[in-house]
Amino acid sequence: MNAKQTYLKILKKSIPIFILMFGTGLFAQIEITGTVTSDDGVPIPGVNISVQNEAIGTTTDFDGLYKIEVPDESSVLLFSYVGYTDQKITVGSQRKIDVTLSASVESLDQIVVVGYGSRRKKDLTGSVVSVEAEDITAYPSATAQQTLQGRAAGVSVQSANGGEPGADIRIRVRGATSINASSDAIFVVDGFVGAALPAPEDIASIQVLKDASATAIYGSRGANGVVIVTTKKGKKGRMRIDFNTSYSTQTVTNTLDLLNAEQFGDYIQEINPGYVRGSADTDWQDVIFKTGQIANHQIALSGGAENVDYYLSGTFFDQNGAVLGSGLERFSFTNNININFSDRLKVGMNALGRRSTREGARTQESTGGTGSAGAISAAFRFSPDQGIRDANGDFTLPSVGDDIDNPFATTTQIFNESVNDLFQTNVYADLKLFEGLSFKSTLGYNVRNNREGTFFPTTTVRGAGVGGEGSIQTIKQTNILSENYFTYKNDLSFAKFSATVGYSYQKERSERVTTSGAGFLDDGFSFWNLDGAANLLFIESRLLESELASYYGRINFDILDKYLITFNARQDGSSTFSANNKWGFFPSGAIAWNMGDESFLQNSNLISQWKWRVSYGLTGNRAIQPFGTLATYEDIISIQGGELVNAVALQRLANDNLKWETTKQFNVGVNIGLFNNRISLTADYYDMITEDLLLDRPLPETSGLSNPVQLQNVGSLENKGFEIELSTRNLVGAFTWNTNINFSRNRNKVLELPDGEDIRDIGNSSPGHLLLPDVPILREGQPVGVYFGYVYDGVYQNGDTFLPGAIFEQQAGGERYRDLNGDGELNSDDQTIIGNPHPDFTFGINNTFAYKGFDLNVFFQGAVGGDMFNFTLLELNTLTGSSNATTEALNRWSLTNPNTNVPSAAQRTRIISSRWVYDGSYARLKNITLGYTFNERLLEKLKMTKLRVYVSGQNLVTFTDYPGLDPEVLYRSDSNSRSNINLGLDYGSYPNVRSYTLGLNVSF
Amino acid sequence: MKRIIFILIMVATWSGCTDLEEEPIGILAPETFFTTTDNLQAAVDGAYGHIASEEFWGRKFTLSLLLRGDMVTIGDPTTSSRRIEVDEFRMNGDNGMVTSFWPRSYAIIGSTNYAIEGAASVEGTEEEVNAIVAQARFVRAFTYYHLVRIFGEVPYIDFAVREAEALSSIEKTSVEEIYEGIIEDLEFAKTWLPDQQPFRSMPSKGTAASYLASVYLTIGNWQGAYDEATFVINNSGRFGYALEADFQDLFDATKADGLVEHIFSIDFKGLDVISGAPGIDFLPPVTGMRGPDIEGWSVAVPTVAVFNSFDDNDYRKAVSFDTEAVFDGVTVPWQDFGMANRGVSRPHIAKYYRFPGTAGNNNRDSDHNYGAMRYAEVLLIAAEASNELSGPTGEAVDYINQIRARARNAAGTMNTFPEDLTSGLSKDQLRDAILEERRIELAFEFKRWYDIKRLNLGMEVFGPTSMEPQTNFDSTRDYLFPLPDDELGRNPNLLPQNPGY
Repeated sequence: MNAKQTYLKILKKSIPIFILMFGTGLFAQIEITGTVTSDDGVPIPGVNISVQNEAIGTTTDFDGLYKIEVPDESSVLLFSYVGYTDQKITVGSQRKIDVTLSASVESLDQIVVVGYGSRRKKDLTGSVVSVEAEDITAYPSATAQQTLQGRAAGVSVQSANGGEPGADIRIRVRGATSINASSDAIFVVDGFVGAALPAPEDIASIQVLKDASATAIYGSRGANGVVIVTTKKGKKGRMRIDFNTSYSTQTVTNTLDLLNAEQFGDYIQEINPGYVRGSADTDWQDVIFKTGQIANHQIALSGGAENVDYYLSGTFFDQNGAVLGSGLERFSFTNNININFSDRLKVGMNALGRRSTREGARTQESTGGTGSAGAISAAFRFSPDQGIRDANGDFTLPSVGDDIDNPFATTTQIFNESVNDLFQTNVYADLKLFEGLSFKSTLGYNVRNNREGTFFPTTTVRGAGVGGEGSIQTIKQTNILSENYFTYKNDLSFAKFSATVGYSYQKERSERVTTSGAGFLDDGFSFWNLDGAANLLFIESRLLESELASYYGRINFDILDKYLITFNARQDGSSTFSANNKWGFFPSGAIAWNMGDESFLQNSNLISQWKWRVSYGLTGNRAIQPFGTLATYEDIISIQGGELVNAVALQRLANDNLKWETTKQFNVGVNIGLFNNRISLTADYYDMITEDLLLDRPLPETSGLSNPVQLQNVGSLENKGFEIELSTRNLVGAFTWNTNINFSRNRNKVLELPDGEDIRDIGNSSPGHLLLPDVPILREGQPVGVYFGYVYDGVYQNGDTFLPGAIFEQQAGGERYRDLNGDGELNSDDQTIIGNPHPDFTFGINNTFAYKGFDLNVFFQGAVGGDMFNFTLLELNTLTGSSNATTEALNRWSLTNPNTNVPSAAQRTRIISSRWVYDGSYARLKNITLGYTFNERLLEKLKMTKLRVYVSGQNLVTFTDYPGLDPEVLYRSDSNSRSNINLGLDYGSYPNVRSYTLGLNVSF
Repeated sequence: MKRIIFILIMVATWSGCTDLEEEPIGILAPETFFTTTDNLQAAVDGAYGHIASEEFWGRKFTLSLLLRGDMVTIGDPTTSSRRIEVDEFRMNGDNGMVTSFWPRSYAIIGSTNYAIEGAASVEGTEEEVNAIVAQARFVRAFTYYHLVRIFGEVPYIDFAVREAEALSSIEKTSVEEIYEGIIEDLEFAKTWLPDQQPFRSMPSKGTAASYLASVYLTIGNWQGAYDEATFVINNSGRFGYALEADFQDLFDATKADGLVEHIFSIDFKGLDVISGAPGIDFLPPVTGMRGPDIEGWSVAVPTVAVFNSFDDNDYRKAVSFDTEAVFDGVTVPWQDFGMANRGVSRPHIAKYYRFPGTAGNNNRDSDHNYGAMRYAEVLLIAAEASNELSGPTGEAVDYINQIRARARNAAGTMNTFPEDLTSGLSKDQLRDAILEERRIELAFEFKRWYDIKRLNLGMEVFGPTSMEPQTNFDSTRDYLFPLPDDELGRNPNLLPQNPGY
């Protein structure tokens, strides 16, 4: 081949490109105009209009008018608008095209992303619920997880620590399926399993997969539901710039009514007549609660050309907490780029970088003994007759009880900062091998670096005696995932067939280093000069690694679009199990019947959709840490001759028989649409039984293990319940009103435990300094984590028979407990179940109103029937004279006030009893937003396509009888097992916050 | 395009090669651990580490012994119920003290069993290896000796438990057989241990003999007790044992590492390591007084009657009790300790709280070495055994007078009290005198409960006119602690529960 030929060949190949590049300029243009209206005749502004396969696009103006130039008569116009069904129209000879878009409250043709693929909503056989972008960004929040609260039936979302900036969020889909393993739903972001979520503003939609038909393709990670997140992508057409900003102020929703200095002095002097009252009168809650602020900004650039689309976004979130010394700052960058390499190959990349810096006030402390109290509990406990500083200018200490820092010192002197960096990329290639068969390969990489530092300077109790104490911990976690799968589709005349098979490999690695030291020359070192410590207190480094290899597949068979059949299966192999049981198999099957499409219903004016669904399947849970099946020695410290020596102690016996936890789930559901889908209803009933629970079976302690337990597959538990979602378009036309209601009820029950024995003392649930046993218990036939303790029977009066017992009072005014077994004395046999933290039901009610440019959203959310156990009130109101108390103390027993349930002020042992169990039911106005979108004429002058301002309020009203600060807290839920067992516990939690937000959305 | 497909498939299959095998780094496996004598020693050191844990010598076990006896009772009435139950003889099988120190006792024993079996694969001469095995066997005997006195019949496990299945056949062992095992271990230890060790926290030949003497005394084998105790006394130079000149030095953590009187000590270091780690000592704060700016917890506090039972002229009284404290710069007598919140107006134990050495908050994590066996006790054993065998001889009286002579040295000032015992006492009178000497000399050193049990003194020392009346004391039940109920549930072979519980 000579040079000339080569040149010609290149030229030939280039011609189409030149034509493409200059085509719009070279050929005659056709101008199309028209109006887009909704099916009730109202013009719709802001509708996207693009030309298929061309980089041409526009939007309608305020009157629904548009104008666009297309290359030729074969051009196809695509009309799309959120909440309406898309329409395609071929131009042909038309020059004026008026379009009516029909609203899609429940668009059956809507595409729903499911595991390893997508389906028309109409074709789904499983239980899947969607949450849209406008709900996710309805109010500013630090994480996308918390925006799901109340939005979807069967999905329970709770902050672990009230309104704390950056608090952990617990997500449970249909209850907790495990005791020892995580019950958190798994997140899949654009196909990356276990990925971190981007900022709420960068999310296009979220789907929650609930039943086994939908989740079994995720096998061993599907048991707790799967949350599929789709990020925003660019649309073809000119570049669009979105700018969203908001500013919020926050205050705590509630405070406790505590004794003032005089009342406090009276109370303490009843116990200790020699008590010398302090001269101050300090409201410690007032000292540490302040007005917090959130600034939240996002700017996004998006668009697309012929063969590429892009989305670039940056977010900035800056929160100053409502408690002194707490805050969160987060910025993130996201980009999403997709390239059509050829008509057979598509490649893309999704990247997320984020830094979060969190400054924490100490709250929810695991123990509040000497020098260890947190800010919130200290504000309740601390003597109100003390000021912030004493006569010497030092921070005051309490006049009663353990030496703790005063709340001001706790929030301003103790420094706790964690910095979390995330980098995540996911690249893919999608290759069409031949008609119907395609292959997709993705490679995801996620690395998280977390550094947490804490410093107690010498101005604090903990730091004072030891010359300051500091610690620093770094954790680096990497997660790499390769997914490879084939998808085959074939549309036969009577049926559609599709199949997916694939292989994936995932490797996770976690590295941790922790160091702490005490005794520094200068408080100014903070935790950045630990080598300068006179005493190195603690050094630890750890490595954990695990691998997961999986084969998976799915077959869909849709006969006449009416009878739908799905089979899923996944085979998961994990390195964490021993050789005998590395692999687990998780199949599921489902059938659905679009009864509404049958001839007898097809022409019904009433019924527009009616689908039945039934599914059954198995999902799994790994529930075991790396190296958990091996016999191990742990290294411990021993002391010889006053020096530390390395020693070993038996930690664990080998166990070759461990296998996966398996959840068997049955689901039956129905989707009904009435009056052209103006009313749509989804209802599901499910029954899930988790078997082979991996529980620490207590071994005879003669085994000689430091902790004599062995992880074994013993035990099972059940979650069953039902869910209803109801969407109605109450008013259409100029004034629209839509309502979404969801309702969920879950019943949780422990079916089987090792040897049928109760399990206690597993949750470390009680604040250490209160010297109490655990509150939650596991008992067969009861829900997980019911409360166990004594029944409080009020106060002894003079002349009563006092029941003997080691820790029980035998005097008038003393606490009286019930002798349940009637043996005439009080001891541990008189304990019983005194509370159940699981709510009877949870609900969300979302109302959206729109009129002209105004929009109004009112969102209620709540949980009813769950009990709570309040350690805070236990500590304050046992009235044992070691802390302040709430005003309940004013009603304490005395000779002149005998008719009361509140005991006298007296030194007594704290006891877990029904006195501290409260109804935690609540309903709250989670969000209310009023927005106004400016009209087109103004926008044209400003060269904008959209301008909306809004004001909103969060948590403005809460209806509850709970006497603590807020019912939405989870004390001691900081590990997998604790988060399953320790439910409804409250101690020293960050209060929830009420916010007012002013925001602006602008698009160019 | 072909190339792209090839690359894609390469990427896809790159990940396919995994056998899912775990390759742990930073983790030790007992099967491969026992190679050198250093590693064998590390396994035995694990047993010492367990002894020095909060659940055992650091608080739960020793506090139980203190409260169970008639020298110490609950101070702060709001303290946790598990402590009150031990003190007031109201225990159940779910008592939190028992459920803590029972498993820890078997953790000590498990560590020794792994070491004893692991020694088979260790390279070294018989002498080198057996000298370390002998430590393990001593520690095993030391632990069972406590268990058999606390609980009576318990499972005597002398093999390494490697599979959970092996545990289902474990049964209780008779008291006689347990003592046989203890004596066999101590004899082995006496044979192979060296005369002296670098630290008193490691057992030597004399340690094994001293414990043999104590064991024999407990089971009433006077000849055995006499022989072993006098073996130690007659070889005290070879073993490096003597009475400390100043009684106070025994309870001063800063002097703990050089004490010649210690025959076996439990070594703590003033560490503020993470809670629950071995080496944590809470005895100073649980015995120390509460005050506005001092943070003892006044949990285990003697009665005033106990305080009064010591002669004011006895230097040991001043060493054993704290009778005043400084509250906010003001010296306060014990009668006013109750001014503090939850304070208790009684003299407090001083042996641990007064000189804890380098310690953390509330004198927690002291630097004490606790003398689990000291030379004075060997003298007392020899005296008691001698009296039982031969009556009130001069030899027995001389052993007591060695102790009394030392007690007269009040930090260099020679007191006249306590005077020497004179000969001319009857055998019964001398027995009483020796017992009283044990009570005073070894006060609050975790011996008294064992003496009450050994000599069946309960009805007397908890009676209405005693120093610590306890109306619940039941001699058919309370000489044994209850076995932990949860353990009975896990291993029903251990039923029945001890009588009365």
